[in-house]
Amino acid sequence: MSQLITVKATDGTYFDFIDEVIGSGAMKDVYFSPDHKYVVGFFRNNQDGRSIDRLMNIVGIYRDKIFKQAGGDYFKDYFCWPEKLVEWNGKIGVVCPAYNKKFFFESGMFKGKEKEGKWFASAKLRNKFLPASEKGTWLNYLQICIRIARAVRRLHAAGLAHSDLSYKNVLVDPQTGSACIIDCDGLVVPGKYPPDVAGSPDFIAPEVMQTKTLKVGDPNKALPSIYTDRHALAVLIYMYLLYRHPLRGGKVFNTDPAKDEELAMGKFALFIEHPTDFSNRPNYKQISESEMPQSDIDKRPYTLVGPYLKALFDRAFIEGLHNPEKRPSAAEWEDALVKTADLVVQCNNSKCDSHWFVFNNNEKCQCPFCGAKFKEKVPIFNFYYSKSKGTFRPENYSLVIHDNGPLFTWHVNRYVTPNEKINAKDKVPVGDFHCQRGNWYFVNRSLESLWDFSNSEKKHIKPGEQVELKQGQKLLLTTEEGGRLAIVQFSEN
Amino acid sequence: MRRLPVYLVLDTSASMQGEPIAAVRRGVKTLIDTLRTDPYALETAFLSIITFNTNAHLAMPLTELMSFKEPDLNASGCTALGEALELLSVKSDIDVIKTDQNVKGDWKPLVFIMTDGAPTDDYRYGLAEFKKRKFGMVVACAAGRNANINVLKKITDNVVQLETADSRTISAFFKWVSASVSTSSMKIESGAETGLLSELPPPPPEINVVI
Repeated sequence: MSQLITVKATDGTYFDFIDEVIGSGAMKDVYFSPDHKYVVGFFRNNQDGRSIDRLMNIVGIYRDKIFKQAGGDYFKDYFCWPEKLVEWNGKIGVVCPAYNKKFFFESGMFKGKEKEGKWFASAKLRNKFLPASEKGTWLNYLQICIRIARAVRRLHAAGLAHSDLSYKNVLVDPQTGSACIIDCDGLVVPGKYPPDVAGSPDFIAPEVMQTKTLKVGDPNKALPSIYTDRHALAVLIYMYLLYRHPLRGGKVFNTDPAKDEELAMGKFALFIEHPTDFSNRPNYKQISESEMPQSDIDKRPYTLVGPYLKALFDRAFIEGLHNPEKRPSAAEWEDALVKTADLVVQCNNSKCDSHWFVFNNNEKCQCPFCGAKFKEKVPIFNFYYSKSKGTFRPENYSLVIHDNGPLFTWHVNRYVTPNEKINAKDKVPVGDFHCQRGNWYFVNRSLESLWDFSNSEKKHIKPGEQVELKQGQKLLLTTEEGGRLAIVQFSEN
Repeated sequence: MRRLPVYLVLDTSASMQGEPIAAVRRGVKTLIDTLRTDPYALETAFLSIITFNTNAHLAMPLTELMSFKEPDLNASGCTALGEALELLSVKSDIDVIKTDQNVKGDWKPLVFIMTDGAPTDDYRYGLAEFKKRKFGMVVACAAGRNANINVLKKITDNVVQLETADSRTISAFFKWVSASVSTSSMKIESGAETGLLSELPPPPPEINVVI
C-alpha cells in the first residue's frame, strides 16, 4: 500500500497526497490526493527565490484576480489553476485540481491518455488514428476556440501572459466543445517575472524565434508577452478550424532542416495563404496523402471561416506577423468567433464529418468540407444599430436562421454579450424560429417591444404572437437602449 | 511534414543470449507501445532497427510507428559493429529525404546504438562512412562492463553506460530512448538542434553518462 503523506501549504492549510508518482512531466513528478480530485506536482529541480515568489503570486493574488472577481466561478472550467504551494523533502510542489474526466480518452487505443490539443489539430492524426467518435463537429471546434480565446482574454485583462500557449497546454474535448488551459505555473507578468521558456514549436512568435540566440538581458531579445500570446492564439485557432499550420508552406529557406525551421518560424515567416506573395504556398507534391485534404489551401482556403475570422487572420498572419502590435487581441478573437457561430448551417450531407460550416450567401452555397450543395432557402437577419434615435447603420453582423433555432438577448441588444458577465435571465431564448410548409415564422416569447416596421403602419408584436418572415422585412427587436433593427433577407442559393 | 527518422542499432551477438536479448525484445515492444500513444511521435517519428552479430542486418526498414512490427530478435555470433555502421550509412542515404532548394527534407536522424561487447570486425571503414553523414543526435549505449567504451567514443560524444546488461537496466534504457524520441519529436522544430545529450530527458539512475 502506498503511504499517505500530509504536508502544510504556504496558506496554512494541510494537503494529503498518496506517495506514488502517477505521471512525470518535463519539470515535475505528479501525485494524486486520496480522493483524486487534486494533484500535486513537485518540481524535480530546485526553485530559486524568484520562482517561489512567482508561484506564491500565482496561487495568491493572480488567482484572486481571476477567480475572486465577478464572474470568477465561470472560469473554473476554463483553467486548471494552481491553488496551493507545498514543500516536501526540500521540493516545491503546486496543487491543482485534477483534470475533468472528459479530457481523457475513454476507450480505444489511446484510452486513459490526456486529450491534448495536438490530437485534434493535426490532419494526419485525425485522418489516420483518431476514432470518429472523438472528432466532434466543426461547430465543436468553434466552441473550443471561443473558450480558449475567452480564457486568454481574461488572463490578459488581468495583466498576465500565459507565455507558452500551445496545443500541449490546452486540453480539449471536441465531443462537448470544451477546452481547459493547463500548466499555468509558467505565467508571465510583463515587466515583473521574465519567462522561463521561449514557447513551444509551432507557436513561438516570429520575433522571439528570430532573437532567441541573443543573450538574456539584451534589449533586442524579444520575450514571451501578451503580444506573443496573441500570435500563439491565432495559430491555435487557425489549426483547430483548418487542421494545418499557417506558416508551414513549401518554401525552403535553408538546406539545413534546423536552420530552415528557425527562419520559417522566425525572420522570414510567411503566411502560406498570403494574397500576393505565393512563395510559401504548400508544395502539394511533398504533402503526404494522410495530410489531405486539410492541407489543400485551394480546396479549403482560409476564407471558409467566414468574414469576421478571415479579417482577423489577415491581421494576425499578414499585417501583424512581424508587427506584434497589429495582432488581434484575444477579445477581438472571442467576439469574431461568437459572431461566426451565428453564421453556421448544418451540412445537408449526413456523412459529412464536419457537420457544420459557415454559410456563404451566394447561389452556389456548398459545404467547403464535403462539397455538398446547401439546398434550403433560409432567412437571414442582418443587424443594424442605432447611434442616434431613429437612424440605423449596418453592423456587419448577421444571424443565419435555423428551423427551431433560438433568438437571444445578445442578438436583440448590442450591449449584451454572451460571456461570463451574462446573467441567468439573458441565457433564456427570447423567441424562436420555425419553418412550416416553406414559410418561416418568428415566435416572440418575451420581447416586450418588438415592432414590425415593414409597412407604413408599424405593428407591435406582443409576447406569445408570431410573425411571418418576408424578404426585406424590418423588425425593431426592442426599443430599449442598444436595441437592434433586423432586416430579413432570404438566402440566394 | 518533415519526418523524424529514428534508427536503433542493436547488438544481437552471442553474449546477448538469454536475459539481455529477452530484455531488448521487451524494450522494443514497450518503446513502440509508448510512442504509439504519443501524438507528436505518431505524427513525425519513423523507426528502423538494424541488428548486428556476425553480420549487420536490416531487421526493420524505416517505418511509420503504427505500421511497425517488432522484429524477431535472436542472439548468436560475433559483433560486427563496423558493418552495422556501414549499413546504417547506406540505409540513411536511401531513407532520409535531403533538403534542397526546392524540397523540404526530413529532420536529421536520431541514432541509438547499443552493444555489450567490442567490435569483432575492422570497424574503421564503417566508422568513416558513418562520419561522412549528417546525423542529428547519436547516443551509444555500453550495456555492461564488457562493452568497449573507447570505440563508442569514436562514434559519438554521447556515450552512456549500463552497469550490467540485465532486464532492469535494459528496460530503463528503452524507456529513456522512448522519452527521448517523444521529446525530440516535439522539440526538434524549435530549431535548437545541437546534438548534445542535454537536449534529451535526463537519463534514469540505471544509466550513467560517460564523460
